[in-house]
Amino acid sequence: MPDRVQLETLVASIGLLLAVFELIRRRKLTEEYSFLWILLGGTLFVVSIRADMLAAAARLAGVANPAALPLVVAVAAILIVCLCLSVIVSRQRQQIERLIEETAILSAELRDLRSAPPVK
Amino acid sequence: MKPAVLCVVVAHNEAPNLPLVVADIRAQQKHLDILVVDDGSTDRTISVLPHLGVRWLQLPERMGVGSAMRAGLRYAARNGYDVVVRVDGDGQHRADDIAALLHALDARRADVAVGSRYQIEQPVRRSQRLLGTVLSIATRQRVTDPTSGFCAFGPRAMRMLAEHHPTGYPEPELRLFVERNALSVVEVGVRSRPRFHGQTSLTAGRIIATTARVALALAIVPWRRRVQEVVRA
Repeated sequence: MPDRVQLETLVASIGLLLAVFELIRRRKLTEEYSFLWILLGGTLFVVSIRADMLAAAARLAGVANPAALPLVVAVAAILIVCLCLSVIVSRQRQQIERLIEETAILSAELRDLRSAPPVK
Repeated sequence: MKPAVLCVVVAHNEAPNLPLVVADIRAQQKHLDILVVDDGSTDRTISVLPHLGVRWLQLPERMGVGSAMRAGLRYAARNGYDVVVRVDGDGQHRADDIAALLHALDARRADVAVGSRYQIEQPVRRSQRLLGTVLSIATRQRVTDPTSGFCAFGPRAMRMLAEHHPTGYPEPELRLFVERNALSVVEVGVRSRPRFHGQTSLTAGRIIATTARVALALAIVPWRRRVQEVVRA
């Protein structure tokens, strides 16, 4: 008989997976960045139906209170997601810099071409 | 054969200064091609540019002097220039020192010539003296002016920096980059001059942020991979 906490986490994990699925379907989230979240939702789902796995993992990790383990794992997962997002933002910043530099060069070339007399 | 030299003037909101800076360069170096890089100015710069008789690049957003230099260097590399001189748009770099920078590149076969305001006298600010000492140790050569933006780049440096010029507060990191990539540097004594009009963009808050960035650069740049020189057909 599943207890209430288990039911709640089950609902939460299914909710997360559905939200991710919907975001990908509407193209609000591109596939390349979605795996992180699918992985996170999937792990939460598995842990919520097999609470004994959590207890086993807690024993293995030497954590006395099994309830503390998901907390630690959750914080670690969020940190990893944050780091991934920072990497993505940095890469986008570099791409934007490059694009802006290129547009400046291209518009200068266009200006030169327009002001040059037409070639017969 | 004389090298083709492009003078890159970086400017953010320097509309009153640009005509003076360009006139100063013209007066000293009649045949030098000038490229103004407008780093996302929000003042009258856009309306001033067409009347200067120079070519210009206009960055649609403010990206910082490093990104602006990268655009200028890439423009130079693609248009067949051999040497780039960086002159700031505020008028603090004197055009009569450009000849000394170009001469140093040529005569001392250097990849980069940096104009130093402090070859004779020490910098007034203690933070600059400290930065100079730290950079001297890190690059194993004397750095008297760690924050100088008045410099000339030879062909090799021009092509490397066209892709990899550091951003943010780039001058100290540039010295580290140059050392890391085995480019040779010479310092040339130049005289400083206060900017023509307006205020400097350096404030107390930004100084703290830039100090942190420089410290990070000191720790990281020596561990970066060396970059490849990109030669386009």
